[in-house]
Amino acid sequence: MSMLAGDLRAFLAAGQKELRILRRYPLNFIGGLFWSALLPAVYVLMGRAYSGGNDPRALSAFAERAGTTEVAAFVFIGFAMYMWLSSVLWGPGSALRREQIQGSLEATFLSPVSRLVPLFGPGVSALIPMLFSFAVTFVSLWLMFGFVPPLGAAIPVVVVVAVALPAMYAIGSLFAAGVLKYGEIGPVVQIVRGTFVLACGITFPVAMLPAWAQAGAAALPPTYIVSDIRAVVLRGAPLADIGADLLTIVGLTAVIALAAIASFRLLEASARRTGMLGRY
Amino acid sequence: MDELRAAIAIGKKDLIVLSRYRIAVVSQIFTPLYQGVIPAFLFGASFAVAGRVVGLDATVGTDNLAGFIFLGGVIAGLVAVSFWSMGMGMRNEMDAGTLEPTWLTPTRHETIVIGRALGGLVWFLLSQVVLFGIGIFAFGLRFDIGILAAVPALVVAIVGMVGVAYLLAGVVLLIRDANFFVDTTNFLFSTASGTAFPVTLLPTVLQPIALLLPTTYAMDLLRQHAIGARPTFDPALEYLGLFATTALLYPLGRWAFARAERSMRIRGTLGQY
Repeated sequence: MSMLAGDLRAFLAAGQKELRILRRYPLNFIGGLFWSALLPAVYVLMGRAYSGGNDPRALSAFAERAGTTEVAAFVFIGFAMYMWLSSVLWGPGSALRREQIQGSLEATFLSPVSRLVPLFGPGVSALIPMLFSFAVTFVSLWLMFGFVPPLGAAIPVVVVVAVALPAMYAIGSLFAAGVLKYGEIGPVVQIVRGTFVLACGITFPVAMLPAWAQAGAAALPPTYIVSDIRAVVLRGAPLADIGADLLTIVGLTAVIALAAIASFRLLEASARRTGMLGRY
Repeated sequence: MDELRAAIAIGKKDLIVLSRYRIAVVSQIFTPLYQGVIPAFLFGASFAVAGRVVGLDATVGTDNLAGFIFLGGVIAGLVAVSFWSMGMGMRNEMDAGTLEPTWLTPTRHETIVIGRALGGLVWFLLSQVVLFGIGIFAFGLRFDIGILAAVPALVVAIVGMVGVAYLLAGVVLLIRDANFFVDTTNFLFSTASGTAFPVTLLPTVLQPIALLLPTTYAMDLLRQHAIGARPTFDPALEYLGLFATTALLYPLGRWAFARAERSMRIRGTLGQY
């Protein structure tokens, strides 16, 4: 019991440390502000070009595939997911790599806490950029394109995000484990994020993908997360309608978290043998 | 002549360094593909009615979605080369600790930017050939042979972008930690040039800025010649705008670069980073 309490304290301390680092670099939030507002805005204008300035035939074709004619809101919600993925992959996903570069990874591993603490602890820090980019997304959607989400969607969105948090956390942790094997993961972050963008319907409807890719998308939590947020915000879907999706997310979270723990254990053992911990 | 030899040597050196990082080479071709082209193509196709992107036809006068996107990629790639290879290249030399020795050679400092431009443009051409090959094979990319008529416009735009690169190199030398600056200005420059959508869709307040960029005119001329897109302005006026903005930006860039260099010599910041 005391070991568990110690691990919990260490977990909170790891999260607190990451939050402190986040606070020390406030200018990083300018990047979040810029990309969260302008990246989707450019896509919305692309949508205007492709739809001939909202030609009813083009919009109706889009609605058949996306389930809504609200192109701006569809795109902004997708990009909120993109920013969330980015913060998960660049934040907790690369936190172990940062420790490695700073030379503190070996010292951390020498402490008597569970190895799961350095794996899952930094995930706490991804919450702040995620909440920030969600706020920027909805405010800029309102300011630039006049779309105000219905008030009734607020609680369902919070529920979806609350269910999705552990899933995103697990994705970041699974990714983080790779540092122990490969060291530099910058290019891999780009590839993984690109794969999610292509597969999960972040910038275009999943219906545009070939059948085999749609089957792959069904195994990725962000597909459900972004689709459910769109459903509650754009179609006013009640929670009961997305209940099955939420259960799927919970199931996938368990699988990914277990995979993260297993691969971390495996890679840690390999890193101990090869001396990879201190190398970069 | 010596300056030309130096520029070619710098360009060759950049290509040799790049070729040593094979993953980076592959990534530079595939990143624009999976982060830019494919999502834009599928997003555009989601507006298609019976296989035709009628909305795009109404906007630019052609429903050739693949052509519209890939040609946008040509100018976006040119902008990226100017910003990252030429402008940000100074920062890379700074990081590698080779800027001071390079600065001490008898080569003119402006030649360094020209050399980086040569290396960057060779790589740009190679990557565009590969991207177009993928486009033709996988996305049904088709364009008219008239694309060749747009080559002079592209050459003039390249000269203009070298001017922009001088301007950026000056800024990068002064602010040093320029990653965010280059990343965001590259994005804004590319967007304002109409690579992703016609500049007429930009907010009214930003449209005059788009008209100050040579790439805006080059983009429009390229799409006209290659896929028969409707011109935004009279083509003669577009050529005039292209030449005028290039004539403005090139000397402006050289002047800004010289000012930045002088400031660095006075402040002794060449070796700092």
